[in-house]
Amino acid sequence: MVVVGNGMVGHHFVEQLAQLNTADQAIEITVLSAEPRLAYDRVHLSAYFSGKTAADLAMADEKTYQDWAVNFQTNAKVVDIDRSNKNVVTQSGQVIAYDKLILATGSYPFVPPIPGKDREHCLVYRTIDDLDKIQASAKVSKVGVVIGGGLLGLEAANALSHLGLKTHVVEFSPQLMAVQIDAGGGRLLKEKIEALGVEVHTSKATSVIEDGETCRYKLCFSDNTVLETDLILFSAGIRPYDNLAKSFALEMGERGGIVINNHCQTSDKNVYAIGECALWNNFIFGLVAPGYDMAKVAAKHIMGEQALFTGADMSTKLKLMGVEVGSIGDAHAKTPGSITYSYQNQPTGVYKKIVVSSDKSKMLGAVLIGDTSEYDSLLQYLLNAIDLPASPEALILPLSGEKPTLDVATLPDTAIICSCHHVTKGNIISSIAQGACTVGEIKTCTKASSGCGGCSALLKSVADAEFESRAVEVKKDICESVIE
Amino acid sequence: MSCSQSSHIVQSTCAYCGVGCGIDITVNNGKASALVGTLEHPANFGQLCVKGSNLLATTDLTNRLLEPQINNQTVDWSTATSHVANKFAQIIKEHGPDAVAFYVSGQILTEDYYLANKLMKGYIGSANIDTNSRLCMSSAVAAYKRSFGEDVVPCSYDDLDSTELLLITGSNAAWTHPVLFQRIERAKRRNPAMKVVVIDPRKTATCQIADYFLPIKPGTDAAFFNGLLNYLSANNGLNSDYIAQHTQGFEQAVLEAKKWSLAKVSAYCDIDQKTMKSVYQLFARTEKVLTFFSMGINQSNSGADKCQSIINCHLATGKIAKDGCGPFSITGQPNAMGGREVGGLSNQLASHMDIENPEHRSTVQRFWQSPTMADKAGYKAVDLFDAMDEGKIKAVWIMATNPMVSLPDGKKVARALNKCEFVVVSDCAENNDTLDFADVKLPATPWLEKNGTVTNSERRISRQTNAIAPNGQAKHDWKIIAEVATAMGFSGFDYSHASEVFREFAQLSGFENNGERVFDISAFSTITTRQYDRLKPVQWPVNHNYPEGKKRVYEDGQFSTPSGKALFFPITPRQPTQKTSAKFPFRLNSGRLRDQWHTMSRTGKASQLTAHTDKCYLYINPEDAARLNIVDDEIVNISSSVGQATVHAKLDKNQRANECFMPIHWNKQFASSANVSNLYASITDPISGQPEIKHGAIALSKTTFKQFGQLHISEDFIVQTQITNEFWTKARTSYGMSFQFANTSPETDILHWCQTTSQISGEWLQFSQESTRYVLCLQAGKLVFLCYSSATNPNIESAWLEHIFSQTSLPEQDIQSLLSGTSSEEFAKGKQICSCFNIGEKDIISAIKAGCSSVEQLGDTLKCGTNCGSCKPELSVLLNEHSINTTEIINSTFIEEIA
Repeated sequence: MVVVGNGMVGHHFVEQLAQLNTADQAIEITVLSAEPRLAYDRVHLSAYFSGKTAADLAMADEKTYQDWAVNFQTNAKVVDIDRSNKNVVTQSGQVIAYDKLILATGSYPFVPPIPGKDREHCLVYRTIDDLDKIQASAKVSKVGVVIGGGLLGLEAANALSHLGLKTHVVEFSPQLMAVQIDAGGGRLLKEKIEALGVEVHTSKATSVIEDGETCRYKLCFSDNTVLETDLILFSAGIRPYDNLAKSFALEMGERGGIVINNHCQTSDKNVYAIGECALWNNFIFGLVAPGYDMAKVAAKHIMGEQALFTGADMSTKLKLMGVEVGSIGDAHAKTPGSITYSYQNQPTGVYKKIVVSSDKSKMLGAVLIGDTSEYDSLLQYLLNAIDLPASPEALILPLSGEKPTLDVATLPDTAIICSCHHVTKGNIISSIAQGACTVGEIKTCTKASSGCGGCSALLKSVADAEFESRAVEVKKDICESVIE
Repeated sequence: MSCSQSSHIVQSTCAYCGVGCGIDITVNNGKASALVGTLEHPANFGQLCVKGSNLLATTDLTNRLLEPQINNQTVDWSTATSHVANKFAQIIKEHGPDAVAFYVSGQILTEDYYLANKLMKGYIGSANIDTNSRLCMSSAVAAYKRSFGEDVVPCSYDDLDSTELLLITGSNAAWTHPVLFQRIERAKRRNPAMKVVVIDPRKTATCQIADYFLPIKPGTDAAFFNGLLNYLSANNGLNSDYIAQHTQGFEQAVLEAKKWSLAKVSAYCDIDQKTMKSVYQLFARTEKVLTFFSMGINQSNSGADKCQSIINCHLATGKIAKDGCGPFSITGQPNAMGGREVGGLSNQLASHMDIENPEHRSTVQRFWQSPTMADKAGYKAVDLFDAMDEGKIKAVWIMATNPMVSLPDGKKVARALNKCEFVVVSDCAENNDTLDFADVKLPATPWLEKNGTVTNSERRISRQTNAIAPNGQAKHDWKIIAEVATAMGFSGFDYSHASEVFREFAQLSGFENNGERVFDISAFSTITTRQYDRLKPVQWPVNHNYPEGKKRVYEDGQFSTPSGKALFFPITPRQPTQKTSAKFPFRLNSGRLRDQWHTMSRTGKASQLTAHTDKCYLYINPEDAARLNIVDDEIVNISSSVGQATVHAKLDKNQRANECFMPIHWNKQFASSANVSNLYASITDPISGQPEIKHGAIALSKTTFKQFGQLHISEDFIVQTQITNEFWTKARTSYGMSFQFANTSPETDILHWCQTTSQISGEWLQFSQESTRYVLCLQAGKLVFLCYSSATNPNIESAWLEHIFSQTSLPEQDIQSLLSGTSSEEFAKGKQICSCFNIGEKDIISAIKAGCSSVEQLGDTLKCGTNCGSCKPELSVLLNEHSINTTEIINSTFIEEIA
């Protein structure tokens, strides 16, 4: 088996397969990485600038792979696939045969075709190598611009800001993070980010990059305004790294991406594609979690187990430059007939919005800026299709009295209560079964609610319900051992 | 001691219509705290209408011009005065005196008016001073003057009490002159034999007291009165002795009238012949006949002739200059009459003297000892702005009037003001549609601060008294004029008090008069300031012979003409110049509403006055609307050959087919495009110069708005809220301001639009579903902003709005109600009818259904109509519509007669 690509998803696949790969089945696994190093945590790439090293970010090391009996090669970019003979050729000319081929080539940053985009200090933000270049450029720069105000663009802006540059974000659309959040949330996010010293320029289309007057370069916009900068970072979205597949006649999406089925198989049954290079149901998932799901499905399918990839929830909660941002489901209220309730507290800088079904019975989506404490419970309503309280607006409005809480009995055991630490309702129940008898103890045992703390109300509800149903004293000493 | 000093009563006169009601203002520590009608004032005997009752709600300092400005920069008075004087002097020097003009107003006081006229005619040497009274009653002036030899109204309000037949034509007195209307109502109740005839294209609130209502085709009144003259002549209805002894020209007049048979008039005026004949018979048979007329007669291409056709009938029957008789022109402004007396019109001189008469010119010039004297008539209002548009007038000084709103063909007026090199505006308001064009803005004192005299519709001079000191840097108009005149180097403007101006004017009225002119107030030639301050309302003439004034004039049949005889004129009726056509098929009428006044710069401030009608409507016959697929409250586009407007439609069965009505009040300060004057071409009566602003020709079309909404904003945020939607209209409310808007391209992000429009920072809540948005904003728990928008016009009960905005901390159930777009049933009051007690239509209808069968019973039950009484005609309408006993209550005689 040959795995092309050793990003987070490619690595996750190897990890999954290694766990399933029992001795008697002994599959030979070869991992080919185009980068000079093995998998690392791209999600927390900006930590590289705040002191973390490449080693800190690494997810895989040679020893682990050796333990798993996984062959691996770095700097081994695959340049050719021979599907009829079932082998791949690396850039060094090495030919490696496969029975099953896994394409986890990921994506590359899209650089819009702006004249001047190839100038020396025009960079992207994707790999540790990119980061090294940014760091080098930053040392001789005072002003930096990120082109693209999406999630990654804001991460990149944070990085530039940490590098001591006067930082600007230039966004083509009228708002930041247009994919995940609505206009109201976008405005508040912009305000908050600007309050942190990063200037945000929305509705700006860059027409050309020229020599600057006060800085190295000058961005000229279609509205005839200009912005001087020394460094330009493109973060205008990603494109699937699908060249290999394209050259070898695998079925492709109209706008790129390798078409896969629910088993993550491409149009060639022996070739799988997972992660950001894969196109499922005409959709590319640009988050790591769905990539992990695909990795699991592909690994299981290869091992002959039943598993289907049926899409993924794109809800996301994160802290951007210290600003809490949450996006759940149909954040843009595109569902016909849906009802939206919004709340914005201007003095405190909080924006909350929920999208519910036309009969107000089901959660469809949400946007949270500045305060994501309701994220987990709102997400549960969505993921588990739980009936909403009679006045769903009470979930986000600052009304006095008890906020309506989720009926935890309706939650399945798999429901994630604490998304920071991936603690499910099942985990909590088993911690109680194992002796945790107060919420505090459950926290200690499971780490639930020890991250952002947003799930504390939900955790308490789950715990109380369980205590009530058990109505038995639970021994404390067992808990202690669980902590161990 | 201190108590009496801190609280006292100032007797003054109302700021609004020509009735001239006396008002007692209670002043506490320099602030006006209350007002009531003056019990002993002969114009109103204590009564006030809803506008007058609410005068104090209009005197706050919002939108007050308090300092002089040059090019929108505040300057001190001496800078402003010398700037105005220098620019006028410079333009006069370069282009002659006829290159400058004053455009003044029936709302300035006699003393102001007198000095403006004196400066222009006797010192600058031009007659280019005209007034907005030109738009109001100049046709009546022209007719009186032509027929009687002098502009003398030969009637008194007392005649309304004693008349036996009252013809109300071209007047919705119930709304425009409510205090007189109530006097008429009372007279009718005291004398059940008294008959009232209303002749009007619209079935107005005034029709509630009509025994006969003649829904006349617009613009055909002269034919109706020619027909009457013909009928009188043919049916032994003439007073041959009177005609022979006191008149001239009857033969020619009746010859022309004879062309108007009953059948012809009936067809021409579109009035049922039988009803018309009954009215003619009544006129012939009844001893005391009074014709009460207003703008419906005057604002016409042939207004002077229409007035004359009325006068002809009264002269021919001798039903004039005696108790309960006469052709009675009712003026619309508080001091239109004062303006007529001082010569505020460009074709008059002063004190009823003629500009074309060399002796008169000499008289006035000698009296003034002025350096020059205008010797020919100046431009009349519409012509004045035409001349400005042609570049002939290079400097204009506009005082207390808003020609951008009131003159026809607003586009032309705007062009003229733009072309005019130097525009000075004296006003009490900081912003109005005309002030936008001002190079210099001069802050004038408004009612309550002003001090001087006014003359009402029955020739009664009353004091309008300053109850409080001028606010800011505001000055009295007479003082501003005097200071500019002095700065221009003229002597003769050295006055220290309004009483000195009045005294001079009184002297002029008697100067070389020798009984030639009825207008003579020389009894005041030596009046002291103290006497002036205690001046009792008095009808002129007030002279040696009649020191206490004189109710009746011309009672001896001696008119002011050289022959002493009143003149008949043959009248050939003319159709309106503005013709309806296939392109512009609807006739457009205009007029006042009950609770608003002119361009709303004052009445627009009082929420008590906006509740009755909170936006500009185009009133249209329901069948016409159905044909155009227009529903009630739909926003429609109106176009004419010269302009357009966009307003809500009100389906109104009281409108004749193919005829619409639109109120005169709304302007750019209150709505995006609701100015009716813009729809009128500038056609004028060749005799009076009065514009034809009741007979427009318009087309209606549906709008393409996709989004509709309303905003409600609490008091504190009114000023900062700027609305610029394609369509909007706003109205003052008890809690602040409400706006309605409509967009062709819907705002998708209403929340953001609300935030930027209101510039309010707080806690914002929004409900949205498809095109519906409910947005509200709280500050410390108090509701400060609310917006409802949708693909259809949202409707929110005003009582509910008042309730939620009054809560210091909005309860959660109310927040949730707002976010669900509902209000509780208890707040559903319907349209407000009684502004004094805030009584809505629904309560009134319930009371009627519960058994109330008269206006008095409604008053006993709900209090409605028991204060000012302005709503009583509307209460009658509701009684007629909803009474369990469905027979007409008020108009029973009307039905009998018709039957």
